[in-house]
Amino acid sequence: MASEVIYKNIDNACETAEEFTRVFYKQLDNSRHLTSKLYLDTGLLVWNGNGINGNEKIQKFLMDLPASNHVLKTLDAQHIKDNLVSNKLTYLIQACGDVTYNNDQVKTPFQQTFLVVAIEGKWKIASDCFRLQVPYSN
Amino acid sequence: MPKRGGRLRNWKPNDHFEHDDRSHSNNTRRVSFKTNTNKGKNKFRSWNDASQLLLDGDIDMGASGGQGPNRKGFRTRGGRLGSPAPRPAARKKFIAGLLPWYQVIIPYGAKHEKDVILRVLLSYLSPDVFIPHYYKINGNAAVFYVDDVKIAEKLFYADRKIVMSDGFKLVVIVRNSVPNVVIDDSMKEKMKLAMAKRYNAATKALDLTKFHADPDLCDIFCALFRPMIMLAAIDIIAENIPDLEALNLNDNKLHGIEHLKIMCPKLKNLKILYLGDNRIPFLGSMDPLKPLPLVELYLKGNPMVKRFSDHDIYVSDVRKKFPKLVRLDGVDLPPAIGFDVSDEVSLPPNKQWFLIDQGGQTLVRDFLTQYFAIYDSDSRQPLLEAYDETAMLSMASTYLTGDMRNAPENKLNAYISKSRNIMRITERESRRRYLKIGKLQVVSFLSDLPKTKHDLLGFAVDLPVFTPGMIVLTMNGVFRETNVNGNPTRAFHRTFVIVPNSNGGFSITNDMLFVTNTTREQESKAFSSGTPDQPIVPQPAQVVQAPVVPTPQPALHDDNQRMMLNMLGQQTGMNEHWSINCLQETGWDYQRALFIFNQLQSEGKIPAEAFVK
Repeated sequence: MASEVIYKNIDNACETAEEFTRVFYKQLDNSRHLTSKLYLDTGLLVWNGNGINGNEKIQKFLMDLPASNHVLKTLDAQHIKDNLVSNKLTYLIQACGDVTYNNDQVKTPFQQTFLVVAIEGKWKIASDCFRLQVPYSN
Repeated sequence: MPKRGGRLRNWKPNDHFEHDDRSHSNNTRRVSFKTNTNKGKNKFRSWNDASQLLLDGDIDMGASGGQGPNRKGFRTRGGRLGSPAPRPAARKKFIAGLLPWYQVIIPYGAKHEKDVILRVLLSYLSPDVFIPHYYKINGNAAVFYVDDVKIAEKLFYADRKIVMSDGFKLVVIVRNSVPNVVIDDSMKEKMKLAMAKRYNAATKALDLTKFHADPDLCDIFCALFRPMIMLAAIDIIAENIPDLEALNLNDNKLHGIEHLKIMCPKLKNLKILYLGDNRIPFLGSMDPLKPLPLVELYLKGNPMVKRFSDHDIYVSDVRKKFPKLVRLDGVDLPPAIGFDVSDEVSLPPNKQWFLIDQGGQTLVRDFLTQYFAIYDSDSRQPLLEAYDETAMLSMASTYLTGDMRNAPENKLNAYISKSRNIMRITERESRRRYLKIGKLQVVSFLSDLPKTKHDLLGFAVDLPVFTPGMIVLTMNGVFRETNVNGNPTRAFHRTFVIVPNSNGGFSITNDMLFVTNTTREQESKAFSSGTPDQPIVPQPAQVVQAPVVPTPQPALHDDNQRMMLNMLGQQTGMNEHWSINCLQETGWDYQRALFIFNQLQSEGKIPAEAFVK
């Protein structure tokens, strides 16, 4: 049944999102030197409008960010039709919460959306859009 | 109060409160039948008594507790019930309060002109002078405030010492009390004007010394030691001079400064802070200000300074809290020997737009313009056209952390009731139900959300994926609810996955939405660039304009590959032969092809002939 396949995809997307964000933010906050492993080698990070292409550059960019602590408040996930990304299983994950930098007291709301792809049994980030909730108009 | 009590109970009386005559005073109360006989005073005293208790943990609770019943007893016996005139005992002693503000009440003061009363009081206190704040007539009484404990004490002892022209002795009641004030827009405007006058734009310095005594604020009680007023002042600063570098808060009777921590995120450039001649009790009170990058600090004249018997220890303790300090209390500090660790790293600057491919610019702009024109219209039904047959949509929503605004328009019920936050919705069945699948379901869901107007100019737009087969478009921004009272603004984050459809257009296959309240900062900047109907796309730094290549076409497997080929050619400037090679070697993975190109190009490994057409 087609609907069963869809249900399975919905359930898996949610469970993957839970596991993925647990790993991702733990690494980003605590062992950032390993974080870029989670990205495809051609992966893309868009950090507040700054695009960083390829996981080596992403690693360098992340290392230059101040120490962070992310606390998630909402999480959502959807599956993307299989045939879109080279026939590989792809999920869209949206994580929102608060981030503090430099261990100060200021919590800034952030929203982050990932496109993760299953490649050889591992989930890899194809793209990652991070935005702080601040005014952007000039 | 319990919190405050806990903090203050450990206080040792310092010089401000040293004349501890409370026990004596209580004794005299017991023998004096005339003490505390006025009923008006009863309700005023509670705060005063409480502060005395707080100041000295050893105070005999019985004395204070017994006061109430005693008073009643005195009243009935003394027969003074109904008499508004207080009759403090001659030997009653003045008791200093926690805050240096005192209300002076002159019963029947309304009988005399303000000038007359002030003249007799001033001449009685001569050579001391005082400024009567906020003089007003309240019923029969004249009421004013003084902000000096010594004057308050002298006025206290002036009670029934002055014989007025009508033969009556002038009754003077002094009680520890702070004038009431309401912060409204007119008050804020007055504060703003008074502050503008005290601002030095050349040095980016704001001098708020003794702010409550500002001649422009003499009719309102604008004392910065009141947290509400201080917070209003900080708001005004953050709004008008966010790059402030020096702030002088000397002589403002500041006591608790915990709330000043709001300066840390708001005034990131504040380097010089004067807090002298205030009443800050402990050096620990400064902790909330530690994130400020202070290079100069002035603390002289606060109780905390006197707590240190050794000045060197004081200096070293202050420096521990503010390591960048080079000047303290007007004295240059010897350079400290530190460690070679870099300063705290700051965040890279934001950019409003990111496009992986400048070629997507027109499409993104047109798409957003068209989509939100319909979305913000009376009916969202036409959006059916924009979604794929099997499109899916979900929305998550939550309140901002620590947001104290709880007006009805801040409620997010319209969103939270439909929120698919899988951190909360853990059952599979529910997770499936909250996900809307099929364009009918999707558009019907969207139609039920509040009507909106989006601030398209304020959108932050990211286009991380732009390939012939798929577009991923993420936006952050603000919209206004148009059919809800108060037209509140909301912040949102939204991602569309878009694919080409068979009609040569595009359809949304995935729509993921997040809605929350706007931060104050977002609220103030929302729609600030006007409200044209389309988002402004910044001019691209470099647009690759490749001419159309009139060369024989190699056989391609399908239209998709032809599109990829054209796009790669346009984006890289490579000729068709090299573009095909690049795509074939990467198995027609467009992203990868582009990535390899960029890598080889940056290493200078692509020969010039690749670009010859």
